[in-house]
Amino acid sequence: MSDFRTSQNEAHPNKTNSLMTGIIVLLILFVSIQIWFLFGALNNALQDNLYFALTTFIGSLLLAAASFWILRYLPDPLKNKK
Amino acid sequence: MAHKDPYDGGENTPSWKSDFPFQAKKATHVGRREFAKFLALFSGALALTNGAIVIKSLTFPTKPLEGEHFICNESDVAVGSMLQFDIQGSKVIPYILIHLKANEWRAFEQKCTHLTCAVRFREDLQKIECPCHHGFFSPDTGEVLQGPPPRPLPQLEVVIKDGKVFVKENEQKNKV
Ligand code: FES
Repeated sequence: MSDFRTSQNEAHPNKTNSLMTGIIVLLILFVSIQIWFLFGALNNALQDNLYFALTTFIGSLLLAAASFWILRYLPDPLKNKK
Repeated sequence: MAHKDPYDGGENTPSWKSDFPFQAKKATHVGRREFAKFLALFSGALALTNGAIVIKSLTFPTKPLEGEHFICNESDVAVGSMLQFDIQGSKVIPYILIHLKANEWRAFEQKCTHLTCAVRFREDLQKIECPCHHGFFSPDTGEVLQGPPPRPLPQLEVVIKDGKVFVKENEQKNKV
């Protein structure tokens, strides 16, 4: 029987691909920002700049939370046609 | 494309089956889903590392050097030359003592602020040089004149008493 999901899949066969690519690009963006933060924090912590370390930590934590949250929208693996 | 494996990709594939596939090709294959999950994990690890930096700077703040340390006699270091010495604290930190001009002494940490190479005083250039990547510091203030080092060299204060050279924590710097 054809339901909404089946017809939508037929109308947009590339949907999974675009979603996947979008999510991976976002994840790479988050990780790059975190690496940048970490680099700055390492440099500044050597100078005892606690405030900077704390700010980047909070930012990094938020980005990590966002990365995990975005995994919710990972498309399910393709199911075999019944 | 007919699949022989009835579980392949199906929604009722048990997880042990997808974790230990019997086809070698599938065992080494990293799908985009796994890649995305791996990126998220990496992101979490980065956040944790950043947290470790905070914890480290909270629990082990760098202690200022206590008291005055005797280094050498004034006559041991000629004008324009430098002397390398260590101070034993919680860890050994190498320093250099520079006799800039008569009665002008400076003491800096010897570790370059770029990648901790040993710096040395070049009398011909009147600069402190880091040979690794050609960073130059001012021998007067320790500031970066040129090159990759991101921060000035940490400085100690030099005190001369009866022809003996002592160093102590630089108080002016700590007030800033
Ligand atoms: S380590 Fe001194 S300039 Fe790179």
